[in-house]
Amino acid sequence: MSGPRHAPTHPPVEAPTYASVGCPVQLDALGPRGAFRARNRLTVADVTGRAVAELSQVPRLFVQRGLSALRAARPADTGEPAEVIARAGHAFAHGSVGGLPASEYQRLVSRVSGVPVAVVRSATARIERAAAGVERTVRGARPTATAGHWRDPLTRGGGAVWARRGDVFAVHAAGNHPGVHSLWLEALTLGYRVAVRPSGREPFTPHRLVTALREEGIGDDRLLLLPTDHQVADDIVRGADLSLVYGGDAVVEKYRGHPNVLTQGPGRSKILLADVDTGGAAALSSALDTVVSSIRDEGGVACVNATAVLVAGDPAPVAAAIAERLAGLPSLPPEDDKAVLPVRPTAEARVLERYLLGQAEGATPWLGGDGIVDELGDGSAVLRPAVIQLDRPNAPQLGIELPFPCVWVAPWSPEDGLGPLRNTLVLTVIGGDGRLVERLVDEPGIGNVHVGDHPTHRMVPGVPHDGHLAEFLMRSKAVIR
Amino acid sequence: MAVASDPVLTFPPDQVPDPEEFIQAAMRWHFSPTTGSPYWLRRARTLDFDPRRDVRAFDDLQLFPNIVNELRDVPARDLVPQGYGSSTEVIGVYESGGTTGAPKRVAYLADWMDRYVTWSAGRMDERGHPHGAHWLAMIPSGPHLWGEVVARQARRRGGFTSTIDLDPRWVKKCIAEGRADEAARYVEHLLEQGRFLLETQDIGVLVITPPLLERLAQHEHLVKLVNEKVRVIIWSGAHMDADSRHLFRTEVFPDVQLFGNYGSTMILCGAVERAGSEEECVFDPFAPHISFSVVDPETRRPVPYGARGQVVMHHISRSALLPNNLERDVATRIRPEAGHLGDSVADVSPVRTFDDEVVIEGVY
Repeated sequence: MSGPRHAPTHPPVEAPTYASVGCPVQLDALGPRGAFRARNRLTVADVTGRAVAELSQVPRLFVQRGLSALRAARPADTGEPAEVIARAGHAFAHGSVGGLPASEYQRLVSRVSGVPVAVVRSATARIERAAAGVERTVRGARPTATAGHWRDPLTRGGGAVWARRGDVFAVHAAGNHPGVHSLWLEALTLGYRVAVRPSGREPFTPHRLVTALREEGIGDDRLLLLPTDHQVADDIVRGADLSLVYGGDAVVEKYRGHPNVLTQGPGRSKILLADVDTGGAAALSSALDTVVSSIRDEGGVACVNATAVLVAGDPAPVAAAIAERLAGLPSLPPEDDKAVLPVRPTAEARVLERYLLGQAEGATPWLGGDGIVDELGDGSAVLRPAVIQLDRPNAPQLGIELPFPCVWVAPWSPEDGLGPLRNTLVLTVIGGDGRLVERLVDEPGIGNVHVGDHPTHRMVPGVPHDGHLAEFLMRSKAVIR
Repeated sequence: MAVASDPVLTFPPDQVPDPEEFIQAAMRWHFSPTTGSPYWLRRARTLDFDPRRDVRAFDDLQLFPNIVNELRDVPARDLVPQGYGSSTEVIGVYESGGTTGAPKRVAYLADWMDRYVTWSAGRMDERGHPHGAHWLAMIPSGPHLWGEVVARQARRRGGFTSTIDLDPRWVKKCIAEGRADEAARYVEHLLEQGRFLLETQDIGVLVITPPLLERLAQHEHLVKLVNEKVRVIIWSGAHMDADSRHLFRTEVFPDVQLFGNYGSTMILCGAVERAGSEEECVFDPFAPHISFSVVDPETRRPVPYGARGQVVMHHISRSALLPNNLERDVATRIRPEAGHLGDSVADVSPVRTFDDEVVIEGVY
């Protein structure tokens, strides 16, 4: 592309301001030449349908020019961006970014995504931690016999260097949970130049994170925010070397054959209560704590929330106990400090409810059998928990993941084998012997195994969430010198 | 034997006739047994109004049914007004792109081509377009109309013309069949052919479609050549969104004049971008031969100025009558230039489809 010949002629860009009636926050695209306010803008509404932001929608030409700029930019030296990322993480979590204080940012995210504000706050803290520890995280993913730099003594006489598989990394982000944005910081750390396409449902988090990173010194030609419609979004994946795409089953299926696209789909996380009868009342109570928190923490909107509980023995008492503990959760607007359940526009909530009730037909509902929608009276509705018991471990409903605390409880016995436990991002197994754990860890259809009272959503710094992203981004390259 | 038409139908290029006089003269010409076309004389018998009596003013054009779908089957010969007699000079039979089914076709007469080229050349003069330049047209030729029009425009302005033919129907077919890669290869093939000309010839005017221009913009070398040599880019044939237009004008081709044309086979030519269209790209038609109405598609009533609506097009000339065609395009209704019929339009785009599916399963 030819360089700038004229003074920049983008439309004037002002800092985002607080959302107020008739004055939505402007979320500009962040291109290689700075912020760009498109004439074509998507209205971002809160859960009551009120417009709170306008998200610029860039045309294909802007995307193509952005990707060309990323490709032309010099990759960062090893380790160079880590400090900047850590600073940006701090600013993201505590500072005023692009004119928006952290508290206002969190309120807006909860208002548009319906995710309880407390969950947004903890996600903010998680992004901050991820940013602070990103260098250690990527180092932890590096094969042990591989050097981080070709000058390392390991390569004398022949060795392996950890090398990027490409230059430009694209992310099609999800809008279900702000935490998804901690992951691509690893690509930036590894020297990738990154383009993030935000979700139209919750664009605040990526906009804020990209802005913070740019304010702290990541070059405008190394990190872009490219909000755009579905059609042009495909161009971002086509134009990048490697991509991370969040989506449902259809998206996962679409990219199944693409070696350069990593998909993050539904988690279908599960809990296996392998022998609850033997541990006594205290053990059962503690196991139930783990089960309930796996279902409801994070508002039940994350891919690591448990969607199925398999019980060796009679599932009915377990389902009853879960239902009892979930029944009392309050229905509150998402920005309320005490909110724990997700909120959606009422019409959308009703669609989910109809779907759930249809799927639950013939099963035994312990909670939510009469519906899960609790209207707040302002056009929005709380999605209340559902607990539904199935009569066999291979019932198809076990694979249904819905964006609120919704769990399917089914019987399981060792004779049923691992089949019902496959297709799982996180499996928490409570009880059972070492041999069972061995089989679960060996099973490729189970992403992560938590043994004992560790909820499915527990995230530990340095512990991969769905494999290390770096396993996809990097390869070992021979260097002999 | 040719019959003289009312001179108001062939008004001099520097004058705008009285709209009512013009429309009434056209009705007399197209619906008189001695001058009208076999198609219209036949069709008139099925109308529940008498065009010569009832169509007096612009608004009366709404009385006509939208007949363009009939142009898929009507023999092109039947579209020629008999008033031309043996002096008819049919330049060609041109077709629509076939997006909405089988192609529609029109007969194109030499005297209309001359009028249109004269008018459009005048608009180019107003904008200071070069005379004697070498034009590169990367656009469709037959069965489409555009290639022929551009060849004549370039010739009228003393220019050379080089053409790289583009088959839009093949591209559409590839995309419809999910073979986007094949379409992309074809486009690269076109650009490669264009490159030879841009490298070796002194191309001053580039005529191109927006999608092709967008692909061209991905090639740094071609962008550089265009910025160095080309003084005017004439684009048409597809819509250009306002943001892309802004980027082309300010970032990609800052030293080149971008000149948009909005045309359709069904009006036998196009409208041109109003000089000084900065924020929104306004198109003014060759009134009163060509006129637009921007309407609510449900009620067919005009939307307010500044609002979006669907475009209805009319062509009225000595050579043809194609009234009241509801196009699939959406545009902003703009006040016409003083004394002109109908509306001008801005920011034309195809009818939008919305992604309103409700995703049930999964949490994303």
